[in-house]
Amino acid sequence: MPNPSTLAKLPVGGRARVLSVGGDASLQQRLLEFGLIPGVEVKLVRLAPLGDPMEITLLGYNLSVRKADAALVSVEAL
Amino acid sequence: MSDASTSTRTDRHAVALIGNPNTGKSSLFTALTGTRQKVANYPGVTVEAKVGQTSYENTQLTIIDLPGTYSLAARSPDERVATDALLGRLDETPKPDGVIIVVDASSLDRNLYLATQVLEFGLPAVIALTMVDVAKSRGIAIDTAKLAQSVGVPVVEVNSPAGTGLDELKAVLHNALHHPGKVLKLEYPAEFARGVETLHARLMDLGVKLGYTPARPEAMRLVVEAAGPLMDECVSTGGKDFVDDFKRARELALGGQSAALIEAQARYGAIARWTREARTQEKREGATFSDRVDGVLTHKLWGTLIFAGLMAVIFLSIYSWAAPLMDGIEQAFAWLSTQVLALIPDDQKMLRSLVDKGIIGGVGGVLIFLPQILILFTFIAVLEDVGYMSRAAFLMDRLMSKFGLSGKSFIPLLGSFACNIPGMMGARVIEDRNTRLTTIFLAPFMSCSARLPVYTLMIAAFVPEGGWLPVGSAENPFYLINIQGLVLFAMYWVGVIFAIPTALVLKRGILKSKLTPFLMELPSYKWPRARNVAQVLWERGGSFVRRAGTIILAMAIIVWALGYFPHGDETEKKYDAEVETLSKNYTEAAVNFDPAKDKVSTLALIAQVNAAADERVAKIEQLPEEKREAPAAESKSKLEKDLAALHSRADFAQAEADFNQFKEFDEKKGVIEKARSGEHLRNSYLGRMGHAIEPAVAPLGWDWRIGVAAIASFPAREVVIGVMGTIFNLGDEEDETSDSLKDLLRNETGPDGRKLFGLATGLSVMVFFALCCQCGATLAVMRRETNSWRWPIASFLYMTGLAYVVTLLTYQVAHALGG
Repeated sequence: MPNPSTLAKLPVGGRARVLSVGGDASLQQRLLEFGLIPGVEVKLVRLAPLGDPMEITLLGYNLSVRKADAALVSVEAL
Repeated sequence: MSDASTSTRTDRHAVALIGNPNTGKSSLFTALTGTRQKVANYPGVTVEAKVGQTSYENTQLTIIDLPGTYSLAARSPDERVATDALLGRLDETPKPDGVIIVVDASSLDRNLYLATQVLEFGLPAVIALTMVDVAKSRGIAIDTAKLAQSVGVPVVEVNSPAGTGLDELKAVLHNALHHPGKVLKLEYPAEFARGVETLHARLMDLGVKLGYTPARPEAMRLVVEAAGPLMDECVSTGGKDFVDDFKRARELALGGQSAALIEAQARYGAIARWTREARTQEKREGATFSDRVDGVLTHKLWGTLIFAGLMAVIFLSIYSWAAPLMDGIEQAFAWLSTQVLALIPDDQKMLRSLVDKGIIGGVGGVLIFLPQILILFTFIAVLEDVGYMSRAAFLMDRLMSKFGLSGKSFIPLLGSFACNIPGMMGARVIEDRNTRLTTIFLAPFMSCSARLPVYTLMIAAFVPEGGWLPVGSAENPFYLINIQGLVLFAMYWVGVIFAIPTALVLKRGILKSKLTPFLMELPSYKWPRARNVAQVLWERGGSFVRRAGTIILAMAIIVWALGYFPHGDETEKKYDAEVETLSKNYTEAAVNFDPAKDKVSTLALIAQVNAAADERVAKIEQLPEEKREAPAAESKSKLEKDLAALHSRADFAQAEADFNQFKEFDEKKGVIEKARSGEHLRNSYLGRMGHAIEPAVAPLGWDWRIGVAAIASFPAREVVIGVMGTIFNLGDEEDETSDSLKDLLRNETGPDGRKLFGLATGLSVMVFFALCCQCGATLAVMRRETNSWRWPIASFLYMTGLAYVVTLLTYQVAHALGG
């Protein structure tokens, strides 16, 4: 099986599948609402010039997430 | 209804328009309703909805454009507005009979998430599918018939800019409104569904006491979030009994699982099934146009450079492009003032003063900023429409988060450098309440353009010219690093430097927010649409004129009254007598001549010719010294020629003598009139306040006159220049670069003959205005945006206190160093 990791550790251009989403209830809810649900495929497009936040693609759109929040999303690299 | 009996063939329906942000929802709203729209402000929240009218056959449709949202989760009062509006609980907007759900075809899944929530309310619904062209460019094709079949509501493709699909949308909507809506049934785990039912039944019991009937979707929200405004209401109404029942129902529903996950999986699960059939994705190699643009605009080097360049252009254009427009507005108000004054009899002195100095002066002083606001909003609207704004927030988030803010705070704060008011209004895009309040609180720290005249005057008066790195001729060098420029630049930083610790204190203290995630969609780039931009300008410009205009008018009248009354008769008589004595030394024709009324006599013609010559001279004096000679000679010969043309008139000699008399009389009378207004001001309530506060402002290096000017500038900062002009016995029409006020400040001497003010005073006045919140309009808008007087009052007290302390230190240090 591919190694489980977090979204924050994905290299630029890397693809992964969401396994689970952590964080407190309200943060978890927001992440889920934006489509970061188990089974969804994400791709890290780029990092902002200052290194944070990151831009990911999922479900056909682009989303900006801070690394601290992305660390709560565990993924398996594809 | 009486309406129905009088016009039996007219149906009326209200329809809510709901959708994610950046989906073309506003474009659709404008395309449907045109300019027939008004803004509904919901009390208690910063959210507003627009209401517009359209019609289909004999049906009158009222469209309620709800704010863009990703979900109906009601974590805050702002987020609850959409739910309350859908349920018709808000007085400001009618109860909707149906709903149009705007769905962006290019990111169908995320957009349908909101749709699943809305469809659970069971209102008759139509899905308006937008951005189909964007989807196509990415190889996505959507079969609307299949999508409609699987979702269970009609789906209509619309393209608002092209105007296609609008008639079909209305026809389908019209049909849907005549059938009962269906509640969408999703496949939740059985226990979850049962838990929601149990809680809903419990809420219905509570409904009598709550005063409204909670809907089933609201019960689900409580099960999922166990928090929010409805929860608070239920707990305070239902007490411990309710809390116990709620806990039991929730435990039953969740069985130890994450509620948010259950909900999201049920919704996205249904969406996956719907789209499997209805959507086909053609494999495309390579990046899309939008991706390539994004690669440059968010590039480490290029992205940062473009961003910095863009900000510089916005900044500079706010100053330079606005200048001629602002001059135009100023002239328009000056013209208006003369026109109105001509209608008021001369002996109505108080009314004349109120209209001229109070109303026209006060309102004009604010409206003059309209061009800057419109320019700023043009940039904001274009960048927003293009999709760059979210990239700016993306670029700046790291930096702003260091101060406890978010990337979304950046643009409002940048805009505040032009004017704090649009800056604060721009903070509405920040979802997190505490971050939004902090951003609003920090906005007045940014040096707005109204402070520029104060800086310009003080720098011209007290900061020496010169600098380093001279270029050009030795006699007239141009310094690359110029001391006056540096001081001006420093003033802009003073606010920023104090804003940072303020932000840190606020975000760690009373406005501490849970680490709010910076989850922001980065929409694909689009061409800006003139109609959208015009719409934003119309709304924002209008609201500035209305809101700031009404409050500023009231404040301007108050300050005018304080500065005008009691307007003692003795002072009047004393100066009337002086004018009387003076006029005895001059011919009657000279004393009675009024250039504004007499335009035809020989005297008037001579005066006009001379006035024209004076105007030319003023222009020539702005030229460099070595270039003045030729035009000066030309102007002189023109004057002689113009006068010669009048020689043939029979009364020329007499009129010329009268004119010379008039000139001298007018000048001397002007001095008396200035002294008169100066004395009235000194004796006015405002003047007395000035003397009362003198002990407080003396340590700042100010005298009572500067103190009073600072107080009087409360309605708008730049008023300080006009007030100083009046107080320093000059008449209040002085422009910030007028040599006389500058020289007067510089050369003002005390009773001991020493100069009263120096560099230290100049710096102290500038620092005070950089940090204080002396702007009635800013405070009024802050009240509106935060929905409480607490924030503007706190802002005023804090900033005035801070300004005082920092100004005191500045003056004392600068003075000790010999300034």
